[in-house]
Amino acid sequence: MSGLRILVGCKRVIDYAVKVRVRPDKLGVVTEGVKHSMNPFDEIAVEEAVRLKEKKLASEIIVASCGPQQNQETLRTALAMGADKAIHVLVEDKDYSNLQPIHVSKLLAKIAAEEKVDIVLLGKQAIDDDCNQTGQMLAAILDWPQGTFASKVVKKDGSLDVTREVDGGLETINIKLPAVITTDLRLNEPRYATLPNIMKAKKKPLTTKKPSDYGVEIKSSHQVLSVEDPPTREAGQKVESVDLLVAKLKEAGFMKS
Amino acid sequence: MGLLKTLSILASGHGGYRTLGSNRSVSSGQNNEARAKLILRHTVMSRDHLTPEIGLRLITPECVLWRAREEESPFKDPFWAIYWPGGQVLTRFILDNPDLFRGDALLDVGSGCGAAAIAAARVGASSVIANDIDPNAISAIMLNAAMNNVNVVVESGNLIGQVNNKWKTIVLGDMFYDAAFRDVMIDWLTMQCREFKSNVFIGDPGRLPLIEHPIKSHLRKVGQYVLPKRCREENNGMTEGFVWQLNVKYT
Repeated sequence: MSGLRILVGCKRVIDYAVKVRVRPDKLGVVTEGVKHSMNPFDEIAVEEAVRLKEKKLASEIIVASCGPQQNQETLRTALAMGADKAIHVLVEDKDYSNLQPIHVSKLLAKIAAEEKVDIVLLGKQAIDDDCNQTGQMLAAILDWPQGTFASKVVKKDGSLDVTREVDGGLETINIKLPAVITTDLRLNEPRYATLPNIMKAKKKPLTTKKPSDYGVEIKSSHQVLSVEDPPTREAGQKVESVDLLVAKLKEAGFMKS
Repeated sequence: MGLLKTLSILASGHGGYRTLGSNRSVSSGQNNEARAKLILRHTVMSRDHLTPEIGLRLITPECVLWRAREEESPFKDPFWAIYWPGGQVLTRFILDNPDLFRGDALLDVGSGCGAAAIAAARVGASSVIANDIDPNAISAIMLNAAMNNVNVVVESGNLIGQVNNKWKTIVLGDMFYDAAFRDVMIDWLTMQCREFKSNVFIGDPGRLPLIEHPIKSHLRKVGQYVLPKRCREENNGMTEGFVWQLNVKYT
Protein backbone atom coordinates (compact mmCIF):
# COMPACT_ATOMS: atom_id res chain seq x y z
CA MET A 1 0.00 0.00 0.00
CA SER A 2 1.43 3.32 -0.96
CA GLY A 3 -1.28 5.70 0.25
CA LEU A 4 -0.79 8.64 2.55
CA ARG A 5 -0.03 8.25 6.21
CA ILE A 6 -2.13 10.59 8.31
CA LEU A 7 -1.67 11.69 11.90
CA VAL A 8 -4.73 13.14 13.65
CA GLY A 9 -4.57 14.99 16.95
CA CYS A 10 -7.47 14.33 19.33
CA LYS A 11 -7.99 16.45 22.41
CA ARG A 12 -10.23 15.39 25.27
CA VAL A 13 -12.34 18.35 26.36
CA ILE A 14 -15.41 19.02 28.47
CA ASP A 15 -18.38 17.94 26.40
CA TYR A 16 -19.88 20.76 24.34
CA ALA A 17 -23.29 20.25 25.94
CA VAL A 18 -22.04 20.66 29.52
CA LYS A 19 -22.51 23.96 31.31
CA VAL A 20 -19.01 24.90 32.39
CA ARG A 21 -18.47 26.17 35.95
CA VAL A 22 -15.56 28.25 37.19
CA ARG A 23 -13.60 26.78 40.10
CA PRO A 24 -13.91 28.58 43.45
CA ASP A 25 -10.20 29.59 43.27
CA LYS A 26 -10.94 31.29 39.91
CA LEU A 27 -7.87 29.72 38.31
CA GLY A 28 -9.69 27.24 36.11
CA VAL A 29 -12.95 25.42 35.52
CA VAL A 30 -14.43 22.41 37.30
CA THR A 31 -13.47 19.23 35.47
CA GLU A 32 -14.06 16.53 38.12
CA GLY A 33 -17.17 14.48 37.50
CA VAL A 34 -17.92 16.41 34.31
CA LYS A 35 -18.67 14.62 31.03
CA HIS A 36 -15.79 14.83 28.58
CA SER A 37 -15.63 13.91 24.91
CA MET A 38 -13.48 14.46 21.85
CA ASN A 39 -13.04 18.06 20.77
CA PRO A 40 -15.68 18.42 18.00
CA PHE A 41 -13.18 19.95 15.54
CA ASP A 42 -10.87 16.97 16.12
CA GLU A 43 -13.78 14.63 15.40
CA ILE A 44 -14.08 16.39 12.06
CA ALA A 45 -10.35 15.81 11.52
CA VAL A 46 -10.71 12.08 12.27
CA GLU A 47 -13.70 11.87 9.92
CA GLU A 48 -11.76 13.55 7.11
CA ALA A 49 -8.87 11.12 7.56
CA VAL A 50 -11.23 8.15 7.48
CA ARG A 51 -12.86 9.47 4.30
CA LEU A 52 -9.44 9.75 2.67
CA LYS A 53 -8.82 6.15 3.68
CA GLU A 54 -12.16 5.06 2.27
CA LYS A 55 -11.21 6.68 -1.02
CA LYS A 56 -7.98 4.64 -0.90
CA LEU A 57 -5.94 7.84 -0.77
CA ALA A 58 -4.70 7.10 2.75
CA SER A 59 -3.20 3.83 3.92
CA GLU A 60 -2.91 4.34 7.66
CA ILE A 61 -4.46 6.68 10.20
CA ILE A 62 -2.61 7.26 13.46
CA VAL A 63 -4.41 9.18 16.20
CA ALA A 64 -2.60 10.83 19.09
CA SER A 65 -3.73 12.49 22.29
CA CYS A 66 -1.75 14.16 25.06
CA GLY A 67 -3.18 14.12 28.56
CA PRO A 68 -4.23 11.97 31.52
CA GLN A 69 -5.25 8.31 31.49
CA GLN A 70 -8.83 9.14 30.45
CA ASN A 71 -7.58 10.39 27.08
CA GLN A 72 -7.49 6.74 26.08
CA GLU A 73 -11.29 6.85 25.91
CA THR A 74 -11.00 9.66 23.39
CA LEU A 75 -8.51 7.64 21.37
CA ARG A 76 -10.78 4.58 21.46
CA THR A 77 -13.55 6.75 20.01
CA ALA A 78 -11.23 7.80 17.19
CA LEU A 79 -10.30 4.15 16.59
CA ALA A 80 -14.00 3.26 16.53
CA MET A 81 -14.52 5.92 13.86
CA GLY A 82 -11.92 4.17 11.70
CA ALA A 83 -8.39 5.14 12.75
CA ASP A 84 -5.87 2.29 12.68
CA LYS A 85 -3.71 2.86 15.71
CA ALA A 86 -3.37 5.24 18.61
CA ILE A 87 -0.58 6.88 20.55
CA HIS A 88 -1.35 8.18 24.01
CA VAL A 89 1.18 10.62 25.42
CA LEU A 90 0.46 10.26 29.11
CA VAL A 91 0.69 13.60 30.88
CA GLU A 92 0.25 13.21 34.63
CA ASP A 93 -2.53 15.20 36.30
CA LYS A 94 -0.04 17.47 38.06
CA ASP A 95 1.54 18.47 34.74
CA TYR A 96 -1.66 18.61 32.75
CA SER A 97 -2.60 22.14 33.84
CA ASN A 98 0.73 23.30 32.41
CA LEU A 99 0.25 21.55 29.09
CA GLN A 100 -0.11 24.17 26.39
CA PRO A 101 -0.33 24.20 22.60
CA ILE A 102 3.44 24.68 22.32
CA HIS A 103 4.05 21.38 24.13
CA VAL A 104 1.38 19.55 22.17
CA SER A 105 2.77 20.81 18.87
CA LYS A 106 6.30 19.72 19.87
CA LEU A 107 5.01 16.27 20.80
CA LEU A 108 2.97 15.95 17.60
CA ALA A 109 6.00 17.05 15.56
CA LYS A 110 8.04 14.19 17.04
CA ILE A 111 5.26 11.69 16.42
CA ALA A 112 4.78 12.97 12.85
CA ALA A 113 8.48 12.44 12.17
CA GLU A 114 8.65 9.04 13.84
CA GLU A 115 5.58 7.77 12.03
CA LYS A 116 6.71 9.31 8.72
CA VAL A 117 3.32 10.85 8.09
CA ASP A 118 2.36 12.89 5.04
CA ILE A 119 -0.49 14.86 6.58
CA VAL A 120 -1.25 16.02 10.10
CA LEU A 121 -4.94 16.78 10.55
CA LEU A 122 -6.04 18.77 13.58
CA GLY A 123 -9.09 20.64 14.73
CA LYS A 124 -8.71 24.37 14.14
CA GLN A 125 -9.05 24.90 17.88
CA ALA A 126 -10.24 23.16 21.02
CA ILE A 127 -13.58 24.24 22.40
CA ASP A 128 -12.23 24.49 25.95
CA ASP A 129 -9.31 26.94 25.65
CA ASP A 130 -10.07 28.30 22.15
CA CYS A 131 -6.32 28.68 21.60
CA ASN A 132 -6.17 28.05 17.85
CA GLN A 133 -2.39 27.64 18.04
CA THR A 134 -1.40 23.98 17.86
CA GLY A 135 -1.77 23.49 14.10
CA GLN A 136 0.06 26.67 13.24
CA MET A 137 2.93 26.05 15.66
CA LEU A 138 3.21 22.46 14.48
CA ALA A 139 3.56 23.60 10.87
CA ALA A 140 6.28 26.01 11.97
CA ILE A 141 8.19 23.36 13.95
CA LEU A 142 8.01 20.86 11.08
CA ASP A 143 8.61 23.61 8.52
CA TRP A 144 5.66 22.25 6.53
CA PRO A 145 3.02 24.26 4.67
CA GLN A 146 -0.34 24.63 6.39
CA GLY A 147 -3.96 24.87 5.35
CA THR A 148 -5.96 26.23 8.27
CA PHE A 149 -9.75 26.47 8.71
CA ALA A 150 -10.27 23.92 5.95
CA SER A 151 -13.79 23.39 4.67
CA LYS A 152 -12.71 21.21 1.74
CA VAL A 153 -9.62 19.11 1.08
CA VAL A 154 -8.89 17.65 -2.35
CA LYS A 155 -5.89 15.44 -2.99
CA LYS A 156 -3.78 16.30 -6.04
CA ASP A 157 -0.60 14.69 -7.21
CA GLY A 158 1.87 15.37 -4.38
CA SER A 159 -0.19 18.25 -3.04
CA LEU A 160 -3.55 19.22 -1.62
CA ASP A 161 -6.13 21.80 -2.66
CA VAL A 162 -7.45 23.24 0.56
CA THR A 163 -10.50 25.49 0.63
CA ARG A 164 -10.30 27.80 3.63
CA GLU A 165 -13.03 29.67 5.42
CA VAL A 166 -11.88 33.26 5.48
CA ASP A 167 -13.66 36.50 6.31
CA GLY A 168 -16.38 37.07 3.76
CA GLY A 169 -15.86 33.93 1.71
CA LEU A 170 -13.67 31.04 0.71
CA GLU A 171 -10.06 30.89 -0.32
CA THR A 172 -8.63 27.86 -2.12
CA ILE A 173 -4.91 27.25 -1.88
CA ASN A 174 -2.63 24.50 -3.09
CA ILE A 175 -0.05 23.20 -0.65
CA LYS A 176 2.69 20.65 -1.16
CA LEU A 177 2.86 17.51 0.93
CA PRO A 178 3.79 16.91 3.69
CA ALA A 179 1.42 19.44 5.22
CA VAL A 180 -0.61 20.40 8.27
CA ILE A 181 -4.36 20.86 7.90
CA THR A 182 -6.70 22.29 10.53
CA THR A 183 -10.40 21.66 10.15
CA ASP A 184 -13.31 24.07 10.23
CA LEU A 185 -16.88 23.20 11.12
CA ARG A 186 -18.17 22.72 7.58
CA LEU A 187 -15.53 20.25 6.37
CA ASN A 188 -17.74 17.22 7.06
CA GLU A 189 -20.20 15.67 9.47
CA PRO A 190 -18.47 13.07 11.66
CA ARG A 191 -19.91 9.58 11.77
CA TYR A 192 -21.35 7.91 14.82
CA ALA A 193 -19.26 5.18 16.44
CA THR A 194 -21.53 2.11 16.51
CA LEU A 195 -21.19 -0.55 19.20
CA PRO A 196 -19.67 -3.08 16.78
CA ASN A 197 -17.07 -0.50 15.79
CA ILE A 198 -16.41 0.34 19.43
CA MET A 199 -15.80 -3.38 19.93
CA LYS A 200 -13.51 -3.59 16.93
CA ALA A 201 -11.60 -0.56 18.20
CA LYS A 202 -10.69 -2.49 21.33
CA LYS A 203 -8.56 -4.78 19.23
CA LYS A 204 -6.62 -1.97 17.61
CA PRO A 205 -3.20 -1.07 19.00
CA LEU A 206 -2.86 1.76 21.51
CA THR A 207 0.65 2.68 22.67
CA THR A 208 1.34 4.79 25.74
CA LYS A 209 4.32 7.16 25.79
CA LYS A 210 5.61 9.88 28.09
CA PRO A 211 6.52 13.44 27.07
CA SER A 212 10.11 12.63 28.08
CA ASP A 213 10.17 9.82 25.48
CA TYR A 214 9.99 12.64 22.94
CA GLY A 215 12.34 14.94 24.85
CA VAL A 216 9.59 17.43 25.61
CA GLU A 217 9.45 19.14 28.98
CA ILE A 218 6.02 20.34 30.15
CA LYS A 219 6.81 23.73 31.60
CA SER A 220 4.33 26.53 31.41
CA SER A 221 5.41 29.75 29.77
CA HIS A 222 2.55 31.70 31.21
CA GLN A 223 0.60 31.93 34.41
CA VAL A 224 -3.18 32.01 34.67
CA LEU A 225 -4.16 35.09 36.64
CA SER A 226 -7.90 34.60 36.74
CA VAL A 227 -10.79 32.81 35.10
CA GLU A 228 -14.15 34.57 35.23
CA ASP A 229 -17.68 33.59 34.34
CA PRO A 230 -19.23 35.58 31.53
CA PRO A 231 -21.40 38.39 32.96
CA THR A 232 -24.80 37.02 33.90
CA ARG A 233 -27.74 38.43 31.97
CA GLU A 234 -30.23 40.21 34.10
CA ALA A 235 -33.83 39.18 33.92
CA GLY A 236 -35.88 41.07 31.33
CA GLN A 237 -39.49 42.14 31.53
CA LYS A 238 -42.45 41.49 29.29
CA VAL A 239 -44.42 44.38 27.83
CA GLU A 240 -48.03 44.14 26.77
CA SER A 241 -48.02 46.33 23.66
CA VAL A 242 -45.77 48.12 21.18
CA ASP A 243 -46.79 51.48 22.70
CA LEU A 244 -45.68 50.32 26.08
CA LEU A 245 -42.38 49.08 24.60
CA VAL A 246 -41.76 52.45 22.96
CA ALA A 247 -42.57 54.23 26.20
CA LYS A 248 -40.15 52.03 28.12
CA LEU A 249 -37.40 52.57 25.54
CA LYS A 250 -37.88 56.33 25.75
CA GLU A 251 -37.85 56.15 29.49
CA ALA A 252 -34.54 54.28 29.43
CA GLY A 253 -33.10 56.85 27.05
CA PHE A 254 -32.80 54.48 24.04
CA MET A 255 -35.15 56.61 21.94
CA LYS A 256 -35.68 60.33 21.59
CA SER A 257 -38.85 61.43 23.31
CA MET B 1 -33.57 -29.19 26.15
CA GLY B 2 -33.06 -25.47 26.27
CA LEU B 3 -31.71 -25.14 22.79
CA LEU B 4 -34.85 -26.59 21.25
CA LYS B 5 -36.94 -24.14 23.16
CA THR B 6 -34.83 -21.23 22.05
CA LEU B 7 -35.03 -22.49 18.50
CA SER B 8 -38.81 -22.46 18.63
CA ILE B 9 -38.65 -18.88 19.90
CA LEU B 10 -36.43 -18.12 16.97
CA ALA B 11 -38.77 -19.78 14.50
CA SER B 12 -41.68 -17.77 15.81
CA GLY B 13 -39.77 -14.62 14.95
CA HIS B 14 -39.08 -13.24 18.39
CA GLY B 15 -35.83 -11.74 19.47
CA GLY B 16 -34.14 -8.53 18.41
CA TYR B 17 -36.01 -5.28 18.00
CA ARG B 18 -36.52 -4.78 21.69
CA THR B 19 -35.56 -2.17 24.14
CA LEU B 20 -32.56 -2.83 26.32
CA GLY B 21 -34.90 -3.75 29.15
CA SER B 22 -33.30 -5.87 31.82
CA ASN B 23 -29.67 -4.99 31.74
CA ARG B 24 -28.34 -8.06 33.44
CA SER B 25 -24.76 -8.83 32.85
CA VAL B 26 -23.89 -12.36 31.94
CA SER B 27 -21.21 -14.11 33.88
CA SER B 28 -19.67 -17.37 32.87
CA GLY B 29 -21.44 -18.95 35.82
CA GLN B 30 -24.84 -18.56 34.20
CA ASN B 31 -25.95 -21.48 32.17
CA ASN B 32 -26.05 -21.66 28.46
CA GLU B 33 -29.81 -21.40 28.32
CA ALA B 34 -29.84 -17.98 29.99
CA ARG B 35 -27.08 -16.75 27.73
CA ALA B 36 -28.90 -18.04 24.64
CA LYS B 37 -32.07 -16.21 25.70
CA LEU B 38 -30.18 -12.97 26.08
CA ILE B 39 -28.48 -13.45 22.72
CA LEU B 40 -31.84 -14.04 21.06
CA ARG B 41 -33.24 -10.92 22.66
CA HIS B 42 -30.44 -8.61 21.61
CA THR B 43 -29.50 -9.90 18.15
CA VAL B 44 -31.25 -10.61 14.88
CA MET B 45 -30.68 -13.34 12.32
CA SER B 46 -28.75 -11.84 9.46
CA ARG B 47 -27.96 -13.04 5.95
CA ASP B 48 -26.75 -9.63 4.74
CA HIS B 49 -23.13 -10.67 4.34
CA LEU B 50 -20.78 -12.60 2.09
CA THR B 51 -22.24 -16.01 3.04
CA PRO B 52 -26.02 -15.57 2.87
CA GLU B 53 -26.51 -19.35 2.88
CA ILE B 54 -25.52 -19.23 6.54
CA GLY B 55 -27.85 -17.30 8.85
CA LEU B 56 -26.16 -15.82 11.91
CA ARG B 57 -27.38 -14.06 15.06
CA LEU B 58 -25.64 -10.68 14.94
CA ILE B 59 -25.95 -7.13 16.27
CA THR B 60 -27.10 -5.24 13.17
CA PRO B 61 -28.38 -1.67 12.55
CA GLU B 62 -31.88 -3.02 13.33
CA CYS B 63 -30.85 -3.83 16.92
CA VAL B 64 -31.07 -1.40 19.81
CA LEU B 65 -27.54 -2.34 20.81
CA TRP B 66 -26.17 -1.12 17.48
CA ARG B 67 -26.27 2.46 18.68
CA ALA B 68 -25.79 1.67 22.35
CA ARG B 69 -22.85 2.76 24.41
CA GLU B 70 -20.52 0.08 25.59
CA GLU B 71 -21.73 0.26 29.18
CA GLU B 72 -25.31 -0.34 28.00
CA SER B 73 -24.46 -3.71 26.53
CA PRO B 74 -25.45 -6.71 28.64
CA PHE B 75 -22.56 -8.61 27.06
CA LYS B 76 -18.95 -7.91 27.83
CA ASP B 77 -17.05 -7.55 24.56
CA PRO B 78 -19.58 -9.17 22.20
CA PHE B 79 -17.05 -9.87 19.45
CA TRP B 80 -19.17 -12.89 18.52
CA ALA B 81 -22.03 -10.56 17.53
CA ILE B 82 -20.00 -9.08 14.68
CA TYR B 83 -19.31 -10.91 11.43
CA TRP B 84 -15.76 -9.71 10.88
CA PRO B 85 -14.59 -9.09 7.31
CA GLY B 86 -11.77 -11.64 7.68
CA GLY B 87 -14.30 -14.19 8.95
CA GLN B 88 -16.62 -13.47 6.03
CA VAL B 89 -14.00 -14.13 3.37
CA LEU B 90 -12.69 -17.22 5.17
CA THR B 91 -16.20 -18.66 5.41
CA ARG B 92 -16.89 -17.85 1.74
CA PHE B 93 -13.64 -19.60 0.82
CA ILE B 94 -14.60 -22.74 2.77
CA LEU B 95 -18.03 -22.87 1.10
CA ASP B 96 -16.46 -22.33 -2.32
CA ASN B 97 -13.74 -24.96 -1.87
CA PRO B 98 -15.34 -28.00 -0.23
CA ASP B 99 -12.62 -30.36 -1.52
CA LEU B 100 -10.03 -28.68 0.70
CA PHE B 101 -12.03 -29.44 3.84
CA ARG B 102 -14.15 -32.53 3.20
CA GLY B 103 -13.34 -35.48 5.45
CA ASP B 104 -10.81 -33.67 7.59
CA ALA B 105 -10.80 -32.68 11.25
CA LEU B 106 -10.90 -28.91 11.53
CA LEU B 107 -10.28 -26.38 14.27
CA ASP B 108 -11.73 -22.86 14.04
CA VAL B 109 -9.77 -20.63 16.44
CA GLY B 110 -11.39 -17.47 17.79
CA SER B 111 -14.59 -18.77 16.29
CA GLY B 112 -16.78 -15.83 17.36
CA CYS B 113 -20.17 -16.33 15.73
CA GLY B 114 -19.01 -19.74 14.46
CA ALA B 115 -19.49 -19.00 10.76
CA ALA B 116 -16.29 -20.67 9.53
CA ALA B 117 -16.91 -23.75 11.69
CA ILE B 118 -20.49 -23.98 10.40
CA ALA B 119 -19.25 -23.69 6.81
CA ALA B 120 -16.70 -26.46 7.39
CA ALA B 121 -19.38 -28.72 8.82
CA ARG B 122 -21.62 -27.93 5.84
CA VAL B 123 -19.00 -28.91 3.28
CA GLY B 124 -18.34 -32.22 5.03
CA ALA B 125 -15.41 -31.82 7.42
CA SER B 126 -15.25 -35.02 9.48
CA SER B 127 -15.23 -33.15 12.77
CA VAL B 128 -15.31 -29.49 13.60
CA ILE B 129 -14.18 -27.77 16.80
CA ALA B 130 -15.27 -24.15 17.27
CA ASN B 131 -12.97 -22.62 19.84
CA ASP B 132 -13.64 -19.35 21.63
CA ILE B 133 -12.80 -18.34 25.19
CA ASP B 134 -15.95 -16.19 25.61
CA PRO B 135 -18.87 -18.20 27.06
CA ASN B 136 -21.31 -15.95 25.19
CA ALA B 137 -19.56 -16.82 21.94
CA ILE B 138 -19.95 -20.51 22.80
CA SER B 139 -23.68 -20.00 23.30
CA ALA B 140 -23.93 -18.01 20.06
CA ILE B 141 -22.05 -20.70 18.13
CA MET B 142 -24.41 -23.37 19.48
CA LEU B 143 -27.43 -21.29 18.46
CA ASN B 144 -26.02 -20.56 15.02
CA ALA B 145 -24.97 -24.15 14.39
CA ALA B 146 -28.41 -25.47 15.34
CA MET B 147 -30.07 -22.82 13.19
CA ASN B 148 -28.01 -24.02 10.22
CA ASN B 149 -28.60 -27.70 11.00
CA VAL B 150 -24.95 -28.67 11.47
CA ASN B 151 -22.97 -30.24 14.28
CA VAL B 152 -19.96 -28.47 15.66
CA VAL B 153 -18.18 -29.20 18.91
CA VAL B 154 -17.63 -26.12 21.03
CA GLU B 155 -14.51 -25.65 23.15
CA SER B 156 -14.07 -22.71 25.49
CA GLY B 157 -10.56 -23.50 26.72
CA ASN B 158 -7.71 -21.52 25.21
CA LEU B 159 -6.23 -23.80 22.55
CA ILE B 160 -3.78 -21.24 21.19
CA GLY B 161 -0.31 -22.61 21.80
CA GLN B 162 -1.38 -26.24 22.07
CA VAL B 163 0.32 -28.32 19.42
CA ASN B 164 -1.91 -31.17 18.47
CA ASN B 165 -1.88 -33.74 15.69
CA LYS B 166 -5.66 -34.11 15.75
CA TRP B 167 -6.21 -30.98 13.68
CA LYS B 168 -5.67 -31.56 10.00
CA THR B 169 -6.89 -28.08 9.25
CA ILE B 170 -6.81 -24.89 11.33
CA VAL B 171 -8.76 -21.83 10.22
CA LEU B 172 -8.72 -18.30 11.65
CA GLY B 173 -10.74 -15.29 10.63
CA ASP B 174 -9.55 -11.78 11.41
CA MET B 175 -7.18 -12.48 14.27
CA PHE B 176 -4.26 -10.26 13.31
CA TYR B 177 -4.86 -7.02 15.11
CA ASP B 178 -1.94 -6.19 17.26
CA ALA B 179 1.67 -7.14 16.97
CA ALA B 180 1.97 -9.00 20.28
CA PHE B 181 -0.96 -11.32 19.67
CA ARG B 182 0.09 -11.78 16.06
CA ASP B 183 3.51 -13.04 17.17
CA VAL B 184 1.98 -15.59 19.57
CA MET B 185 -0.34 -16.80 16.81
CA ILE B 186 2.33 -17.04 14.17
CA ASP B 187 4.73 -18.97 16.41
CA TRP B 188 2.01 -21.43 17.25
CA LEU B 189 0.71 -21.85 13.70
CA THR B 190 4.21 -22.27 12.30
CA MET B 191 4.89 -24.97 14.88
CA GLN B 192 1.62 -26.72 14.10
CA CYS B 193 2.50 -26.61 10.41
CA ARG B 194 6.00 -27.94 10.90
CA GLU B 195 5.16 -30.67 13.39
CA PHE B 196 1.97 -32.02 11.92
CA LYS B 197 1.76 -30.54 8.45
CA SER B 198 -1.54 -28.92 9.35
CA ASN B 199 -3.26 -26.87 6.70
CA VAL B 200 -3.62 -23.33 8.03
CA PHE B 201 -6.04 -20.91 6.37
CA ILE B 202 -6.24 -17.27 7.43
CA GLY B 203 -8.99 -14.84 6.47
CA ASP B 204 -7.88 -11.21 6.72
CA PRO B 205 -9.01 -7.90 5.21
CA GLY B 206 -5.50 -6.45 4.96
CA ARG B 207 -4.78 -5.59 8.56
CA LEU B 208 -1.38 -4.01 8.92
CA PRO B 209 0.08 -6.35 11.60
CA LEU B 210 -0.26 -9.23 9.14
CA ILE B 211 0.81 -7.31 6.04
CA GLU B 212 3.89 -5.94 7.76
CA HIS B 213 5.13 -9.23 9.26
CA PRO B 214 7.88 -11.27 7.57
CA ILE B 215 5.50 -14.23 7.70
CA LYS B 216 3.84 -12.61 4.69
CA SER B 217 6.47 -14.26 2.49
CA HIS B 218 5.24 -17.65 3.74
CA LEU B 219 1.62 -16.90 2.98
CA ARG B 220 0.11 -18.00 -0.29
CA LYS B 221 -2.97 -16.13 -1.42
CA VAL B 222 -5.66 -18.71 -2.13
CA GLY B 223 -8.72 -16.48 -2.13
CA GLN B 224 -9.68 -12.86 -2.71
CA TYR B 225 -13.13 -11.38 -2.36
CA VAL B 226 -14.76 -7.97 -2.64
CA LEU B 227 -16.50 -7.26 0.65
CA PRO B 228 -20.28 -6.76 0.42
CA LYS B 229 -21.67 -3.23 0.70
CA ARG B 230 -22.75 -3.38 4.32
CA CYS B 231 -19.46 -4.88 5.40
CA ARG B 232 -17.55 -2.15 3.58
CA GLU B 233 -19.65 0.54 5.23
CA GLU B 234 -19.06 -0.95 8.66
CA ASN B 235 -15.33 -1.35 8.20
CA ASN B 236 -14.22 2.06 7.10
CA GLY B 237 -11.62 1.85 4.43
CA MET B 238 -11.69 -1.90 3.86
CA THR B 239 -13.00 -3.07 0.50
CA GLU B 240 -11.51 -6.51 0.01
CA GLY B 241 -10.65 -9.59 2.00
CA PHE B 242 -8.04 -12.25 1.40
CA VAL B 243 -7.58 -15.87 2.34
CA TRP B 244 -4.01 -16.94 2.92
CA GLN B 245 -2.58 -20.40 3.34
CA LEU B 246 0.45 -20.70 5.60
CA ASN B 247 3.19 -22.33 3.64
CA VAL B 248 6.18 -23.11 5.85
CA LYS B 249 8.99 -25.40 4.80
CA TYR B 250 8.79 -28.61 6.78
CA THR B 251 12.12 -29.25 8.41
